[in-house]
Amino acid sequence: MLPNTLLSVSKRKGEIFPRYAKPSSENIEAANFLIEAYKSHIGEKKKVLKSLVTELEDKGYEYRFVRALSLLLDRKSTFVSKCKINPVDLRRKIFEATQQCGLPTTSENRRKILETVASEMDLSVEDVEEDFYSDLDRELVLENFAAPSVSELLGEYNLGLTQTLLFDATELSFTASGNWQDLFHAIKKFGLIYEVYKDNGLWVKIDGPGSLFKLTRRYGVGIAKLLPIIVANSEWTVKAKIIWRFTNEICDFKLESQKHSSLLKKQRLPTLTYDSAIEEDFASKFQALTTGWTLKREPEPVIADKHVIIPDFSLEKAGIKIYLEIVGFWTEDYLRRKIEKLKQVEVKMLLLVNEALACEKLSALDKRPQLDLNYYRNKISLAPILRYLQTQFEDVKSKEIKLLEALSIKFTEPVVDFREFAARIGVSAEAARAFLAASPPSGYVALADILVSKEKLLQIGDKIKVAIGQSGKLLLKEAARIIEKQGVDDSANVLTMLGYRIIWRGIDSQQAEVSKNPTNSSE
Amino acid sequence: MLRLWFDKGTLLLKGEAGTPYGKWDPRVGCYRIKAHHYRDVLEYLAESKLQVEDSVTILPPLEQIKSNVALRDYQNEALNNWCKARNRGVLVLPTAAGKTFIALKAIQQLKVQTLIVVPTLDLIDQWKKRVKECLNLEAGAVGGGENTLRMVTVTTYDSAYIHAEHLGNKFMLIVLDEVHHLASTGYIQIAEMYTAPYRMGLTATYERSDQRHFLLSQLIGDTVYSIAIEELTGEHLSPYTYEKISVELTAQEQQTYESQMNIFRSFLQQRKITLRSAADFQKFIMTTGRDPKAREALLARNRAVKVAVNSEAKLTVLAQQLEAYRKEKILIFTLHNDLVYRISQRFLIPAITHQTPREERREILSNFENGKYPVVVTSQVLDEGVDVPDASVGLILGGTGSNREYIQRLGRLLRKKEDKLARLIEIISKETMEVGTSHRRHQKIRGAT
Repeated sequence: MLPNTLLSVSKRKGEIFPRYAKPSSENIEAANFLIEAYKSHIGEKKKVLKSLVTELEDKGYEYRFVRALSLLLDRKSTFVSKCKINPVDLRRKIFEATQQCGLPTTSENRRKILETVASEMDLSVEDVEEDFYSDLDRELVLENFAAPSVSELLGEYNLGLTQTLLFDATELSFTASGNWQDLFHAIKKFGLIYEVYKDNGLWVKIDGPGSLFKLTRRYGVGIAKLLPIIVANSEWTVKAKIIWRFTNEICDFKLESQKHSSLLKKQRLPTLTYDSAIEEDFASKFQALTTGWTLKREPEPVIADKHVIIPDFSLEKAGIKIYLEIVGFWTEDYLRRKIEKLKQVEVKMLLLVNEALACEKLSALDKRPQLDLNYYRNKISLAPILRYLQTQFEDVKSKEIKLLEALSIKFTEPVVDFREFAARIGVSAEAARAFLAASPPSGYVALADILVSKEKLLQIGDKIKVAIGQSGKLLLKEAARIIEKQGVDDSANVLTMLGYRIIWRGIDSQQAEVSKNPTNSSE
Repeated sequence: MLRLWFDKGTLLLKGEAGTPYGKWDPRVGCYRIKAHHYRDVLEYLAESKLQVEDSVTILPPLEQIKSNVALRDYQNEALNNWCKARNRGVLVLPTAAGKTFIALKAIQQLKVQTLIVVPTLDLIDQWKKRVKECLNLEAGAVGGGENTLRMVTVTTYDSAYIHAEHLGNKFMLIVLDEVHHLASTGYIQIAEMYTAPYRMGLTATYERSDQRHFLLSQLIGDTVYSIAIEELTGEHLSPYTYEKISVELTAQEQQTYESQMNIFRSFLQQRKITLRSAADFQKFIMTTGRDPKAREALLARNRAVKVAVNSEAKLTVLAQQLEAYRKEKILIFTLHNDLVYRISQRFLIPAITHQTPREERREILSNFENGKYPVVVTSQVLDEGVDVPDASVGLILGGTGSNREYIQRLGRLLRKKEDKLARLIEIISKETMEVGTSHRRHQKIRGAT
């Protein structure tokens, strides 16, 4: 963030545009010049550095830009007072001496006083002159400097410029691709109020309690502090209303990741840590299973009337999205607010509740159609959750099967993949499989993952018979090659269907052979 | 039953009834009310016979007060008027007329949790000291690295503004020292975001050039007492004289001044810009942000002003004046910090600017008070309210030409001491625009000399 006096923006047709420092050769040159200047001026006074900034201004650089760069570099520097004695003590001695000798209105008298002080403190008069005000800001000496790269510096400038503009914001709306938990924590921490709405994604509008009564800059600082957390995401859009300080009109300001992301300094997104061991334990156990459900931590917030809930997890499968919220820690107030919020949700949510919370208040939620409650003691056991997911899925599956039954389906192609078919119709693969396997269309046989026309099957059967010939044996890999050539993947099931047997010699599939099934030897 | 509570500088009312003061806030599903209506809301609900569960205030514990404050007649009158106005209103009294004591007496009478809001960190120290002396009470402070809440707490306008969200419901009485500050767009929210039903504004100069002081009456109350500097002069305050010494710039300074001013003037002529008022000037400053020519003109003007204000010739006259008033307590005021340090180093006298470490500033002020340091040079940091007792000579080197600033600098010299004639001497450069500034400044006060 920069001081207001360094804010460099322009206004066109009611919209505000910060003068961002693009990576042009001039800007790179200025940034580089200053970074190198700080590096090479360690041990020198701040006023020397500031005179270099003036030099850049004289060269025609925008004064706010170069002063801001220098200010950002000051913040990466340590300045110290490099005098032999404490200047405050020195001044006290001088003022006391003045008081004794009387105010010096001639330079001789002045010199005399300084000499007295110098000899008393075992210094030279020059030292005394030098150290008199050596603790003033401009007299401090650069001791340390953590040099940024040119692009870091420009990125910081652009971010700081935007934040400074937002000091004058009355409200801000944003959408972002993630980082929600941090964002909502920050909104609360900075004393802001949010409203959420859907407009091609989830949007959050931010202002403060007093915004109800009048447009105010009061929440601008909080809004500005939120910006780095928003732009840390890969995708985001920010819109704000700004009070143009010169005329008091309200102007628009817009920032988009597509256009501006590369200009702004980006914080690293924090790595997600689990709120509790219970969550972590649950997640690792669940992910160890192959369930077909995709588990996601900190999914997009769920709108619950005027508030949002960021559930701990979301689970997705076949277009079903179920949110999972673990209620473990609690205070009376927390629980009350949580229940109020949960009453409003309009999505499917499974609550995993610590048994210690099995109170009347919570069981009131039991009657809500969208919510399911599950209690746990020390650890969350997966079985009831899997059962719940299965039920949810079976529900969907049976509906889909009904849908398929209502369709009249005819195939012309020799091979039909269940997944492709499911995707084409828009149902789950499981429903497609269940439907097609239960009653294959006439002329087709159902294998594990595909339908094969009987005609195709016969063709394959002929080819295999020829290949086996008189020896009565064929390597499995040979048989598989023949079958795949016919456009069918599932060679093992095809062979079984045709009445062959696979003889394994050890576990090496290269050695496996196909032979006539003895029970069907008569064929 | 209705519920009323404090939410980040506002009140929230939940229940089946609203009040004329609230506004429905769809974001939270409650009525939201500006905090300063707290008393109005309670009165309205009581009149309407509505029961309310009020958890608005969270007050620090009360402490025992032992007071020795005795008020002068006019101070008593001021306090009575304020009490009659249901413990609200603004008191306008000249600097050094003892505004502090009126506020302390009010605290003693009401015996309630009180927040005192002041413009500077120095004033925090000063009020804390007074609270200790007059009420025998340790005051808390918020700001300047301190953060303690006590029955009586002192803070700055900045801290009161920044922390309004959590300080807003902790006090019953709010005392606003130098209350004209409150009218600025930011600080006015202090009045709106605090629930304190009792409010006292103190100032020497209520009028603001932007007329915004009219906004304050509904937030603080009307002006309930006002006494002019003339009415107190002689009786309670020492009289003073004003004189002006014109100094010619040195030849080189004159040349620089002319050439720089010419750049500025010819720019204005070219662009046909006339600068008649402060607003005109503000508009001009605005254009300098995007117009490099305008900026160059402004910088030239600033350089010219700097030459005139910091003129070497003035220092020579200053030396003469210091010589002439050797036995007096002298305060030197300048516009620029650079000049403060130049004077400090030239005459080896203590300086106070915003950069002076707080401890050193305290030490210098206390040594000035006890007479150890007879002369102190400062820029504008002492402008308001800080007690710099019984200085008898004020030397002004350059100023900004604002009416308030002039009165208050003057006020600082006006400490009642037997047979003392305070002097205010302004050293200005001849043939420069400074003459105009000084004239403007003096117009308002001519009657007092």
